[in-house]
Amino acid sequence: MKIHIPKEEHMGPGHLACAGCGSPLGLRLALKALGEETVIVIPASCMSIIVGPFPYSAIGVPIVHVAFETAACSASGIRASLDMQGDRKTTVVAWAGDGGTFDIGIQALSGAAERNDDFIYICSDNEAYMNTGIQRSSATPYLAWTTTTPVGNPKERPKKDMMAIMADHGIPYAAAACVAYPEDFIGKLKKAKGIKGTRFIHLLTPCPAGWRIASNESIKVARLAVETKVFPLYEIEGGEVHTITYQPKGTPVEAYLSQQGRFRHLTKEEVATIQENVDRRWDRLVKRCEGRAN
Amino acid sequence: MAGKIIYHRESEMPFSPVSSGDMSWNRTGTWRYIRPKYEDKTPPCNAACPAGVDIPMFIGLVGEGRYEEAWNVIREESPFPGVCGRVCFHPCESHCNRADYDEVMAINALERFVADQAPPLEPGSPIRGRREERVAVVGSGPSGLSCAYHLARMGYQVTVFEALPKPGGILRVGIPSYRLPKDILDKEIADIQACGVEIKTNARLGGDLSFKDLEEYEAVFLATGAHVSRKLNIPGEDLEGVGSGLDLLRDINLGKAVHVGRKVAVIGGGNTALDAARAVLRLGGNPLILYRRSREEMPAFDEEVSEALEEGIEIRYLIGPTEIIGLNGRVTQLECIKMELGGEDETGRRRPVPIPQSNFTLEVDTLIVAAGEEPNLTFLPEDIRVEAKMVSTDKGARTSRKEVFAGGDMAHLDRTVAHAIGFGKRAAISIDCVIRKRGVTSVLQGIRVGENGTLSMAKYLSEIARRRSPHVVAFEELNLDYFEHAERNERAKLPVPERVTDFREVSTGLTEQEALREAVRCFSCGVCDGCENCYIFCPDLSVITDEGVVKYRINYDYCKGCGICIAECPRNALSVEKEAK
Repeated sequence: MKIHIPKEEHMGPGHLACAGCGSPLGLRLALKALGEETVIVIPASCMSIIVGPFPYSAIGVPIVHVAFETAACSASGIRASLDMQGDRKTTVVAWAGDGGTFDIGIQALSGAAERNDDFIYICSDNEAYMNTGIQRSSATPYLAWTTTTPVGNPKERPKKDMMAIMADHGIPYAAAACVAYPEDFIGKLKKAKGIKGTRFIHLLTPCPAGWRIASNESIKVARLAVETKVFPLYEIEGGEVHTITYQPKGTPVEAYLSQQGRFRHLTKEEVATIQENVDRRWDRLVKRCEGRAN
Repeated sequence: MAGKIIYHRESEMPFSPVSSGDMSWNRTGTWRYIRPKYEDKTPPCNAACPAGVDIPMFIGLVGEGRYEEAWNVIREESPFPGVCGRVCFHPCESHCNRADYDEVMAINALERFVADQAPPLEPGSPIRGRREERVAVVGSGPSGLSCAYHLARMGYQVTVFEALPKPGGILRVGIPSYRLPKDILDKEIADIQACGVEIKTNARLGGDLSFKDLEEYEAVFLATGAHVSRKLNIPGEDLEGVGSGLDLLRDINLGKAVHVGRKVAVIGGGNTALDAARAVLRLGGNPLILYRRSREEMPAFDEEVSEALEEGIEIRYLIGPTEIIGLNGRVTQLECIKMELGGEDETGRRRPVPIPQSNFTLEVDTLIVAAGEEPNLTFLPEDIRVEAKMVSTDKGARTSRKEVFAGGDMAHLDRTVAHAIGFGKRAAISIDCVIRKRGVTSVLQGIRVGENGTLSMAKYLSEIARRRSPHVVAFEELNLDYFEHAERNERAKLPVPERVTDFREVSTGLTEQEALREAVRCFSCGVCDGCENCYIFCPDLSVITDEGVVKYRINYDYCKGCGICIAECPRNALSVEKEAK
């Protein structure tokens, strides 16, 4: 199986991501898909550090750094401004982390989605506030270790279903993607680029520091997230039509969990519970794909 | 790329904070404590190929539809892709890592496919410079012609002397055309001649040709094969109707009229025995193979045995002949004895031991003996040392006489076509070294592929070609995430009723579609095939795609040493080094 991605590059080396980080890879692939006529809005997140401090930028397209909770409304504003100037060619992209999306930025995002403002929102989800020291977010998986959910005081709530929340705004396009599947991700962005309105991409980006994995394992582990059905790759069109874009192998979740230090404390029973949760959610997704309500 | 931007006073700063420089000043390479490097390694198939063919490279080209280039890659090492693609025992396939995944690659079938696509070579095929030295090769079998071919490609003036009226040695007279059609052999010999090799037939050393005649040559390579059938040493071997398997096959292959009886017993368990029996079947006889050990000890290739069985040939194991009985000077009966297996003999196989009082007789009208072959060494001058009925040679194929080299079946017990091609190549390299006064031992050491004596001519001719670590890639070292299960594409065979009526080729080869499907199954173990995973997944934009011999480079100014490129390489073509402090 050979992966094909565009050769054009809109990012340069020297950026400040940790070794093995999935985020800059995600942004690099996104820019390959979207091209140079793109504006990126970045709220407080790992990425606001990664791209470099003023007066430098590792990215070949304009970036607007904005406050934590304002990614979506800033994108709305930039889009409105471009429209006023008659510029319909430039794609406006908000690139936020899971904290900036699931927690802090959800109000602005929900408002923009309800208005169906015309931009692509990419949530680069590494499942905790990694930049500030691995604090739990509402994207942190059930029972995962973080510095605020230490072993003994587990996170007993499941990860928030952001895809469902966004789709239920009735937006034209929402898709889940993963950096270990570049062609799938790029394909979804290209499709999103051709659609008008709020488009939401939920991108899983592995974090070696926060997931407690070696830097060379990040693609491997991200791939396992998909193959174990923990993080299915799918899209929702018009808030209704669900399509699975990659059929996972269905590897037991243990293969995914046991690779990561953040799950090392799990008991056999807890792993079994996670497997049940994953299977149940997968069945729900399959039913939705078949058009059967749940 | 801009460097660091320094504002000396507030007035130099932009009104709004717009970045104007990139991050290239930030040499993140200093963060690194491990260093990835591109290092192709040795594929197990290549290491197992006695002829040294670069298998992943030619298969990669097949996958891209570049058949002629694939053919040329094989021909760097062996002049016989069409022959080997049919008769090789393909140890490459037994070592293929794909065995642990689903089914081994059909390497042999792909080699044949490539050869079958190739056009005939135009005379005057390009060589590497012309050299005035003349080299004589005695014997035009796979070993002799391989040596001659490689020397001619290096520019030498090569003459091959062949005792028989047609060149090809065992390929011509030993292998029946249902396994190796004569036009395939003729084509590849013509290709060898197109490279400048001169072949003189009907020139038998010890007959019209003497050792003295060879002294005018700079070097001589002896490769006269093993064409003397071993006797059974039992009573009655001189009866009419008793003959050797080699003689039978030679007569058939040279187009002589051959008569066999109806009830034909064939003694032996090697390829000659199997081929003799299958030939008898095609001539209308009813062959019965008698072998004194069991199936397990049988030296014949598995494929030959299973094809013979498919054709309905009976093989009886643990039976040894004790006496050939005749009437009026003609064989009528064969007395045999049943055997059981005892302890191991000098070949590591279990020794057959006769069971007392188990004698019985078989009615036969023809008896074919194929109990092994030995070289004829009677023509050798005394100063060429012989040991264990073979010419003794050193690692560089040198005999005890200066400037005389030997190889193939007359000097080795590894008696397969692929080994013969490898020995011929080894001799060609050694002869070139001796003529150009290079140290043979160290040269041979430097161009090894794996540890089985396989040599790379590509490496010999070019220092930068096929730079690969000697490490042979194991299955566990591959990243299987990028491979999908796929069925092996098998060659079709003629149905049995059609194939036993004449000497038509049994196997029909792969179609183009099958070959393309098969080629993309190759893991390309240890050999970068340009899949781009390292480039695709590098988060630090530190993999630079390059054209030419090296496909990719790492930009160590920025590589943070995360190791993703190594982990995501499906074929272990990158290695890790500790970063020097």
